[in-house]
Amino acid sequence: MISFSWLSEFRLADRINAPGLPEQWNEITGYIKITPDNIIKILNPNPEFGQNVMTSLPMIVAEELDADWKQVVVEMGPHDNVKLGPQFTGGSNSTRMYWKPLREAGAAARNMLTQAAAQTWSVPVEEVTTKGGMLYHEKTGKSGTYGDFASQASKLDMPKGAKLKEPKDFKIVRNSKKNVEGLKIVTGKPLFGLDYKHEGMLIAMIEHPPAFGMKLKSFDASQTLKMPGIKDVFSLKMYDDDFELGGFDTRTFNDLLVVVGDNTWDVMNARKKLIVQWEPTAERKEKINNFGRKQDVTIPAGLESSESQYQKMQERAKEPATVLRKDGDPETAFKGAARIIERTYNGPFLAHNCLEPINFFAHVTDEKALLVGPLQAPGWTQPTLAKVLNLPPEKIEIQMTRMGGGFGRRAYGHYLVEAALISRHIKAPVKLIYSREDDMTYGIYRPMYTATYRAALDANKNLIAFHIKGGGLPEHAVHANRFPAGAVDNYLAESWEIPTNITIGAFRAPRSNFAAAAEQSFLDELAEAMDKDPIEFRLELLRRAKDNPVGKNNEYNPDRYAAVLKLVRDKSGWNNSESKKYSRGVAAYFCHNSYAAHVVDMVSRDGQPYVERVFSAIDCGIVVNPDAATNMVQGAVVDGIGNSLYGGLTHKDGVAQQNNFSQYRIIRFHEAPKTIEVHFVQNDIDPTGLGEPPFPPVFGAVANALYKNMGKRFYSQPYHNDIINKKAF
Amino acid sequence: MINLTINQKAYEVDVNPDMPLLWVIRDVIGLVGTKYGCGVAQCGACVVHLNGEAVRSCVTKVKRAQGGKITTIEGLSEKNDHPLQKAWIELDVPQCGYCQSGQLMSAAVLLRENPNPGDEDIDAAMAGNICRCGTYLRIRKAIHLAAEIQRKESNNK
Amino acid sequence: MNAFLNENLILLNFTAYESGFGKETALFFVKAIVVIAVLLAVIVLTTSAFKGNNIAADVTGCKSVNTDSAESVQAFLQVYKVLMSPRCMNCHPAGDEPLQGDDNRVHTMKAQRGKDGKGVYAAKCSNCHQPENTPGLHTPPGNPKWSLPPANMKMVFQGRTARQLALQIMDYNKNGHKNKKQLLEHARDTLVKAGWNMGEGRKPPPLTYDAFVKAWDTWIQKGGYAPE
Repeated sequence: MISFSWLSEFRLADRINAPGLPEQWNEITGYIKITPDNIIKILNPNPEFGQNVMTSLPMIVAEELDADWKQVVVEMGPHDNVKLGPQFTGGSNSTRMYWKPLREAGAAARNMLTQAAAQTWSVPVEEVTTKGGMLYHEKTGKSGTYGDFASQASKLDMPKGAKLKEPKDFKIVRNSKKNVEGLKIVTGKPLFGLDYKHEGMLIAMIEHPPAFGMKLKSFDASQTLKMPGIKDVFSLKMYDDDFELGGFDTRTFNDLLVVVGDNTWDVMNARKKLIVQWEPTAERKEKINNFGRKQDVTIPAGLESSESQYQKMQERAKEPATVLRKDGDPETAFKGAARIIERTYNGPFLAHNCLEPINFFAHVTDEKALLVGPLQAPGWTQPTLAKVLNLPPEKIEIQMTRMGGGFGRRAYGHYLVEAALISRHIKAPVKLIYSREDDMTYGIYRPMYTATYRAALDANKNLIAFHIKGGGLPEHAVHANRFPAGAVDNYLAESWEIPTNITIGAFRAPRSNFAAAAEQSFLDELAEAMDKDPIEFRLELLRRAKDNPVGKNNEYNPDRYAAVLKLVRDKSGWNNSESKKYSRGVAAYFCHNSYAAHVVDMVSRDGQPYVERVFSAIDCGIVVNPDAATNMVQGAVVDGIGNSLYGGLTHKDGVAQQNNFSQYRIIRFHEAPKTIEVHFVQNDIDPTGLGEPPFPPVFGAVANALYKNMGKRFYSQPYHNDIINKKAF
Repeated sequence: MINLTINQKAYEVDVNPDMPLLWVIRDVIGLVGTKYGCGVAQCGACVVHLNGEAVRSCVTKVKRAQGGKITTIEGLSEKNDHPLQKAWIELDVPQCGYCQSGQLMSAAVLLRENPNPGDEDIDAAMAGNICRCGTYLRIRKAIHLAAEIQRKESNNK
Repeated sequence: MNAFLNENLILLNFTAYESGFGKETALFFVKAIVVIAVLLAVIVLTTSAFKGNNIAADVTGCKSVNTDSAESVQAFLQVYKVLMSPRCMNCHPAGDEPLQGDDNRVHTMKAQRGKDGKGVYAAKCSNCHQPENTPGLHTPPGNPKWSLPPANMKMVFQGRTARQLALQIMDYNKNGHKNKKQLLEHARDTLVKAGWNMGEGRKPPPLTYDAFVKAWDTWIQKGGYAPE
C-alpha cells in the first residue's frame, strides 16, 4: 500500500494561500508565528544546502512546542543574528548549535500558550495540558487550539527556563519527516540563488586572470562593448591594500574585470571578445583577523605547478618540523624497534564543485543594500560589506536562498562583496554569476597534503611507537590529539607548511578529509604486519585509550569510537561467508564531535574496482530526522568514494588543468554503490553533528578495499590514477 | 523571431537563433526550474524534453527547438503528480535539490520508453546526470517505485 | 564466382547458338569452355590476394576493369591509417559503448549503442551531440547524423587488422549493404566528413580529407584489394 503524504502538503498550501484568508501571524517567539486558524509557521534559522535543516530545525521547535507537524509550515528565516542565533552552516554545527535554543524557544512558546489558556479559562496554569497543537483543561473539559490563544500569548513575556521534554517523550524528533521543500524541488519552483529575479536586474560576470599569481594589467573592451546586450565593462578593486581581512574573506583576485549585460548568454559571449593584458603579482602580505586571532600572511609570487609543488613537499617533509605533541620517548623507541613501518600519503587540491555555481544578487544604493543568494554564513560577511560599502550593518539586508550545495565553499563571501561593488558601480540591481569554469578555477580549494606515518614494532609485534609528520600547501592536516594518540606509549605528531598563492578554504571535514584517509590506510597496514584483524586491532588500541590512556587532551571518547566499530562489524557480517566474495575495507574516524565507521565492499566490474555496497555505523547522538540523516550519510559515502577515486585539481604555471566536469571527474550514477546500509547508535546524547563525520573515513575504507581487490596499496589520491597507471601531472 | 511551444504554451522570442535553449528558457521566458550546472552537456542539470527527447538545453541552440514541443520540469505534470514526482517525495530523494529537475526529466524518458526498467536500464538512462550530494541510490529506488506507480495507474485506467 | 560463370555461360550459349553451330557441337564447346573456365577460376583464386568475394562481381555487379592490386593495397594502407584514427574509430568501437578522445577511452556517462546505434533513453547521441559542433573545448562535436552503426551491423574498426578491415568493408553483408557506388559515395557522407570538422582541441585524421578521398577512391577503383 503506497501512501502519499505529499497530498497533505497540498491541503495545507491551499489553506494558507486561499484568497480571503487574513494573514494574521501572531509571533510567539522569534521562531514561531501562529494564525488564528492554527497554522504554525516556524522559521528555519540556518542556511540550507541539502543537509535538510529546513526540516530538522523546525522539528525541534515543533517538538517542544508540542505542535502537530501537519499544522506546521516552514519558512527560511531572515538574517537576524539577534533573534535567530548565529545562523552559520558549517562545521556540522547546525543541529548541535541550535538544539538547546530551539528547544527552549518551543518550550517557552508552549508555556506562553498554556498561560494564555489558563488566563482565559481562569484555571491554574499547572492544570492546562497540551497535545498536538491543542490545549486542554481536563477537569472542566475545556479545550482550544493554539490558534485560539496565539494572539493573547504573543502579548506575554517570554519565560526563561521552561521545562524541556525527556527524549523518551519525543513525538516528532526521532521520527522521519518529509523534506518540507520536497514538492517545490520536484516541480522546479524558484529556490536557488541562481533563480532569483528582481525588477531591472542585470547580469554581471568577472573575467578572472587565467592563472594564480597573475593579476589584471590593462584591458581593451572595444569589441566587447559592441556585442549585443552589453551595458558596461570596467575594472574594480575589491579591498584596499591595508584592508584587514576576516577569516572568511578569502579571495583569490583583488582586481576585477567586470562585464555587465542584459542576460547570461550575452555576457558569456561578450567576455570572449575581451582583449586583456595580465601581469604577474608580486609577493604581498595580508592582514587577517580570524575571529580575533590576528595573523600576517605572506602570499608568494610566482606561477606554481603541481609537479614542482609535489617535489617541494617531499623535500620539506624531510626537514625538521613543528612538534605538536609528544608522549613518552619516541626516538628511543624507534631506535630500539624490531621493525619500523613507514608510509607516505598524498592528497591533491580538491575543488568543491557545488552543482549550483557561485552567484549572488546585489542591489546597492547610497542608503542601503539588499543582497540575495546562496551563502553559508551571512554574519561573517556582513561586517566586511559594511566596511567596503561604508554602510551601517543594519542597512545591509542579506536574504539566504536555498543553496545548490555548499561543502564549505559558500562560507567565503567574496562573491557578495564582488556583487555589491558591481551594483554600486553600475547603480543598478545585478546578479553576479560565475560560469562552471570560473567556479572551478577560482580557488578556495581543499589544500594539497602529504603525511608520513611511522610505526615501531617490538620483537613480539607490539606497537611501541607511532609517529605522524604531516604537511600541506599551505596548511597541514594533522590532528595531534586524535586517535591513536592516547593509545600508544610513545607518540609524536609534527607538522609543516609551505605557502602558496593558490587559495584554500574549508572543504567538507577540513583536514580530517585527508587525515582519515592516510591514518586509516596506515592502521590497516599495521594490522596486517601484526597479524591482527583490522577491527580487532583498533578495538585493542581503544581499550588501551580507555583503560590506561597516554597523555592528556585525547580528543575522542574511546567507548563511542569502539561502539561504531563494533556496530559496523556486526551489521556488515564482518568475517561471514557472504563477505568472502567481496574485497572488504574498514575505516573509522572521529571528527566534528561524531563517530563514524564504514565497511566498504568492493568487486571487480568490467575489469575495474567498483564499490557495490557499504555498511555505515554512526554515533551522532540523538538523530532528529532519521531518514534525512540516512540520506546525509549515504551522500557522504558516495561523495567519499568519488573524491577518493577521482577528485583532484592540478596546476601548470598557475593554470588549473581542470576547468569543467569533462576533466574533473565526479562520481556518476552507475559508479555509486547499490546499497548503503546506515545504522545509528541509539543514545540520548545531545546531537553532535552529521554533515562531515561520515565523510573522511570513507577514503580510508576505499583504500583498504582496493588493497584487497588489486593486491597493492594506494598512497596517492585520486586512487584512480594508480588504478589505470596514469600520472597525476 | 523564434516560435517555441513550452509546456503547451506558445512563445515568440526575439533572440539570436544560436542562443542555447537553456538561457532562452531561464532568462528570456523566465522558467527557472531548468538549471545551469556546467554549460557543456556534462552534468544533466539542464535536461528538457524536445519532442519527447531528453536534450541538454545548455548546448541545444534555440533554432533546433523552433516549431518543436518543449517540456520543462514545470510542465512534467499538470497537477504535480507524475509518478516520478510522487516517488521522489515518497522516498525523500533530494538533498540540495539542484540536480533534481534534470534527474526527473531524464528518468521520465526512461519510464516512457521502458515501463519496467531494470538496474542496467536505469544506469544507462541516468549515468549522464550528476548529483554532487550523492542521492543516486535514492533516485534508483524512486525510479523503481515510480515504475510501480505508473503500472498501477495504467491498470486503474 | 557463380554469377561470373553463369553470365559467361549464358553468353557462351548464346554465342554458340548464334554462330549456328549444331547443338552437339555447341554443347561440346560449352563443356570445354566450362572446364577451362573452372580451371582458370581455380588458378585465379589460388594466386589472387583476394579470398572470398570478388568486389568486381559481388559489389559492383559489373565487370571490373583497370584493377591494380598493388596500387589498391597501397591506397588502402593510407585509408586504414585514417579509419583507425580516433576521429573515425571512436564511433566504430568493438564494444557497445562509443569511444572518445585522442586516447580512445570509453565514452563517459555509459553512452551506449542501443539497437539503432543512436543511443538509449535520456542518453541518445543527439541529446548532447547537436547538428553542429558545440563551440569551445571539451564540448560535444556535432553532426545531424551523429550515431554509431546499429547493433545488427556494427561495422567495427577497433581491433581490426588492415586486411580484416578491407575485407569487411568490401563485404556487402558487413558494410551496411553498400555496393561499389555507395561505397564511393560514403566517403562523401556528412558524418564521415565530420571526422575532419572535429571541433576545438581534437587531432585531425592523419590525412587531409582530400587525400583520404583520393586514397579511398583509388583503393576501390583499383579493385578494392585487401593487404596480406
